[in-house]
Amino acid sequence: MTKQGWLDRLRDPSEKTLGLLLLAPAFALLALIVVYPIGRLIFNSFYDLRLSGGGGAKFVGLENYALVWADADFWNATRNTVLITVITVPGALVVGLALALLANLPFKRQWPVRLALLLPWALPLSFAGLIFAWFFHTEYGVVNDLLRRVGLTEPTMWLLRPPLAMAAICLTIIWKTSSFMALILLAGLQMIPKSLYEAAEVDGASRWQQFWAITIPMLMPSIVVALIFRTITALQTFDIPYTMTKGGPGNATETLAMLIHKTTIDYLDLGYGSTLAVCMFVLSMLVTALYLRRVGQSA
Amino acid sequence: MKLFDARALRLIAAGLVLINGFFPALWILLSSLKTEAELVSKPISYWPQNPTLANYVRAFNDQPLPHYLLNSALVAIGSTLLSLAVATLAAYAIARLNLKRRQLILTCIVASSMFPLVTLLVPIFETMRTLGLLNTYTALILPYTVLNLPVCTLVLVSFFQGIPRDLENAAMIDGCTRLGALWRVVLPLAAPGVFTAGILAFVNAWDEFLLALSLNSSAAMRTLPVGITLYQGEFAFPWPIISAALIVAIVPVAVLIALFQERVVGGLTQGGLKG
Repeated sequence: MTKQGWLDRLRDPSEKTLGLLLLAPAFALLALIVVYPIGRLIFNSFYDLRLSGGGGAKFVGLENYALVWADADFWNATRNTVLITVITVPGALVVGLALALLANLPFKRQWPVRLALLLPWALPLSFAGLIFAWFFHTEYGVVNDLLRRVGLTEPTMWLLRPPLAMAAICLTIIWKTSSFMALILLAGLQMIPKSLYEAAEVDGASRWQQFWAITIPMLMPSIVVALIFRTITALQTFDIPYTMTKGGPGNATETLAMLIHKTTIDYLDLGYGSTLAVCMFVLSMLVTALYLRRVGQSA
Repeated sequence: MKLFDARALRLIAAGLVLINGFFPALWILLSSLKTEAELVSKPISYWPQNPTLANYVRAFNDQPLPHYLLNSALVAIGSTLLSLAVATLAAYAIARLNLKRRQLILTCIVASSMFPLVTLLVPIFETMRTLGLLNTYTALILPYTVLNLPVCTLVLVSFFQGIPRDLENAAMIDGCTRLGALWRVVLPLAAPGVFTAGILAFVNAWDEFLLALSLNSSAAMRTLPVGITLYQGEFAFPWPIISAALIVAIVPVAVLIALFQERVVGGLTQGGLKG
């Protein structure tokens, strides 16, 4: 093989070589940002690795895991994360479905309604948190002002009482995420053939019967897709509680993501932070797998 | 007998969707136009009594808001261009080349987005720290590129598959190489797809908070979400400046999605995975 041939092959490579070349940048990035970090994460979780203390990494075996098991903060954060997930995922589905059904009515102009669904989706989660923190402001918030108008003179301290703070956070998450849900479901609604409803009409089915017998079953694939993505992101909840309460009062609204962030970035305890992250990863895989099985059975 | 006529029903429905979508942003806009004295008067006012731009002037002059805007724009544009470039190559290989296990390759790329980003925070922080990249644009551009790779790849694969192979073959018979055909024939035809993927990637990067907060927290390197959120700890009553800054931060993305809403919706339902 001459040099010329080698150059020619580079200029017009075989399918396989070309494929490898084209995929190389993607896989290099995935290796740097996903694969290597996963390995590093598991490795770290067996070490005492504190950047604040000076000294290097010390192998401690499973000690970090034992600490996590006994860590009340970990279980508190787990409870909050699961609570947020089980409230906001069905909540966003119900609100999203309602929005999708409303938006699917035959309007003369489609764009205002579509933009009203797109804007909350495009808004950063952190901005939604800030906006709703202002809504729920004890003294000058619009929520308490509306409550005052209906006779509740004593202002409610939304973000300073544990159950209320959690409720306000969940409400904000539902508002922020339901519009993405609605967009996915709206696309699903628009694919249901009109003839199905016409046939049901002829058979004398009521609107309500049509909804349960046609709309919901036909929409099931879209619902499943939307639910899976929503669940995965709900387990990672960080931005909205961080911007609204910073996990407070106390740590009543601290999620796992916030605990990991605090341990790693604020306390620079990379070893323990990694162990927490491994536990969170296992938990989210577990929930996702269980969920996929349940959803798979019912679909 | 009908409870409502269809027109009234449609109006109510539209009203509900519009209030739900626009009220929060509208309320912030109204707040941003009020004086601080008006914001702390009780009972609260709904319509600004003496509309003023003072909060915007403060946000721009006393605070590094223009700097945050620049940081956000550079990071979002940089990572969008990089993910488009990388995803275009990968999507072309998956859609067109005769590769074994192409489905597996696509699954690998998409599955990486299912991985909880926060669990990777620790090692990514450690890597960037070791490489001395904390508080640089690169520290955010690299992870955001990976974050957007799945969406871009999915959207582009489906666009490439919709382009007839004959066009490429004709170009290659005329003497184009495979990559030449990708550049001269396939990409121009897939331009709408590239554009859609680009908008989705831009919005994702513009919105990201956790990594931006953790990796680039120095005052000069904050992106908009981080900078505005941290006003909360820096002011006794931060809401005048927060509301003005929020409007400044929301407008660019709102204009972008208003102009290209059909493409955005199309792209989202094809593969946008963001809640």
